[in-house]
Amino acid sequence: MLEDQESPVKIRVNNLTKSFGDLTVLNDINFTIKKGELLAIVGPTGCGKTTFLNCLSKLMPTTKGEILIDGEVANPRKHNISYVFQEPTCLPWRTVRENVAYGMEIKGVGKEEREERANKIMELVGLSSCADLYPNQVSASMMQRIAVSRAFAVNPDLLLMDEPYGQLDVKLRYYLEDELVKLWRTLGSTVLFVTHNIEEAVYVAERILVLTNKPTSIKQEVVVDLPRPRDLIDPKFVEIRKLVTELIRWW
Amino acid sequence: MSNNIANETIDHSRNKEAWTLKRVLTNTYFLNVVSLVLFFLLWDYVAKERIFHDSLARPLDVLNQIITLVSIKYAGSTLWGHIWASTQRVLIGFFIAAVIAVPLGLFMALNSYVNAIVKPLFDLFKPMPPIAWVTIAVLWFGIGETSKVFIIVIGSFVPCLLNAYNGVRLVEPELYDVIRVLGGSRRDQIFHVCFPASFPAVFAGLQISLSVAWTCVLAAELTNSRAGLGFLIKRGMDTHKPTLVLGGMLLIAAAAWLTSQGVGILEKKLCPWKRSIENL
Repeated sequence: MLEDQESPVKIRVNNLTKSFGDLTVLNDINFTIKKGELLAIVGPTGCGKTTFLNCLSKLMPTTKGEILIDGEVANPRKHNISYVFQEPTCLPWRTVRENVAYGMEIKGVGKEEREERANKIMELVGLSSCADLYPNQVSASMMQRIAVSRAFAVNPDLLLMDEPYGQLDVKLRYYLEDELVKLWRTLGSTVLFVTHNIEEAVYVAERILVLTNKPTSIKQEVVVDLPRPRDLIDPKFVEIRKLVTELIRWW
Repeated sequence: MSNNIANETIDHSRNKEAWTLKRVLTNTYFLNVVSLVLFFLLWDYVAKERIFHDSLARPLDVLNQIITLVSIKYAGSTLWGHIWASTQRVLIGFFIAAVIAVPLGLFMALNSYVNAIVKPLFDLFKPMPPIAWVTIAVLWFGIGETSKVFIIVIGSFVPCLLNAYNGVRLVEPELYDVIRVLGGSRRDQIFHVCFPASFPAVFAGLQISLSVAWTCVLAAELTNSRAGLGFLIKRGMDTHKPTLVLGGMLLIAAAAWLTSQGVGILEKKLCPWKRSIENL
């Protein structure tokens, strides 16, 4: 995209390897993410996408290799890593507003700034009208938007998303994908978006990494240099979508 | 732009419909009333026909007995005095048990050493019915208040502890991950996830404990007492007054219901986020 070439490297992953006993799940993965980039990762089902994210987020120790954020070894205590899980993970005992602000609370952001940023993000994603409801009073899609908002609100160095919209119907997904792109462009976060939905990947990402089957490594990188908002039936869009589909299918 | 699509909240209100015969007949409250009325008619019939000879009083006689008790002193105490005697024992015992058992249960779930020390003792005493302690309690503490409160503490302890313990262990692990990824500490995990998540289970345990406490107070009072609702029932049996026995039973039910409502209100105050589940 515009400043694609000039942006500094934000995330560098070197020789990432993860095995469970004899089973190698991730095999020597190397890639970088530029600052403010939205990178999508697609791969066949069961190729270890979630393991991959768990390693990057440091929820799971890696067998080999390192993850560098701004040249330093990633550390959740020090760096801002955010993670949007497949399932909505709101804290049921906090209102929507308190959930959105929760990440900032953990990070020690001051109360006034918390309020201000939470309000800004809720305004962006249209959650303002239900800010004082509890999660069990809103629909499933809204719960996921709360989790997304919470993740963006901490101004993350790296935002990991694990098929966040996998459970939702098509119409709602397009809507939330647009919302994600809007949030990302407004806040300039560095996002790694994992999905098994190829169309979704081509729609949101600037660059797509296609993974192989287990033991997983990167098969190919696909740059999506299409203008936004993207058109799902634009021939160029369809061409890229077909290319990625072929890459996944071709075993 | 972003406010309309996908912004639905869950709405519990219903539209008003016209009253029809079918709607009245299938109305929940109507059926509730029918069920209660039939029960009392059946009770009255069984009593009137003397199917249990003279050991079952008619509902209105029981009501009259309760009304009489309100206006006179029975065994040196008014009806309120008897109700309060039992309630006080229940509340003291229940409170002592809750204050010890709930934190202990939470600790056991959070710390494997505490668990390793307490669990075997707890498992040893758990299957023992609290009423089995009645005799030993009298031997240790005499026939006064202490022995009655002691039995209630023993009885209410188990559900409190079990539910607090399981409440913590059944917290969704993803919620801990949220905090770990954000770089939160163990303390954050405990105070922001663990405790609030276990609240509903803790309160369910408190409700069970409370009903066990009423069972225990009754057992203790039936064995030995000079005041209380159990004493009224016992006296009714000794003097062969079925109205007094049944009246005491109804009053115990009412008192137990009221204390249970009290715990329910406390829970609503402390966990406003909890989805209400009917018939629980």
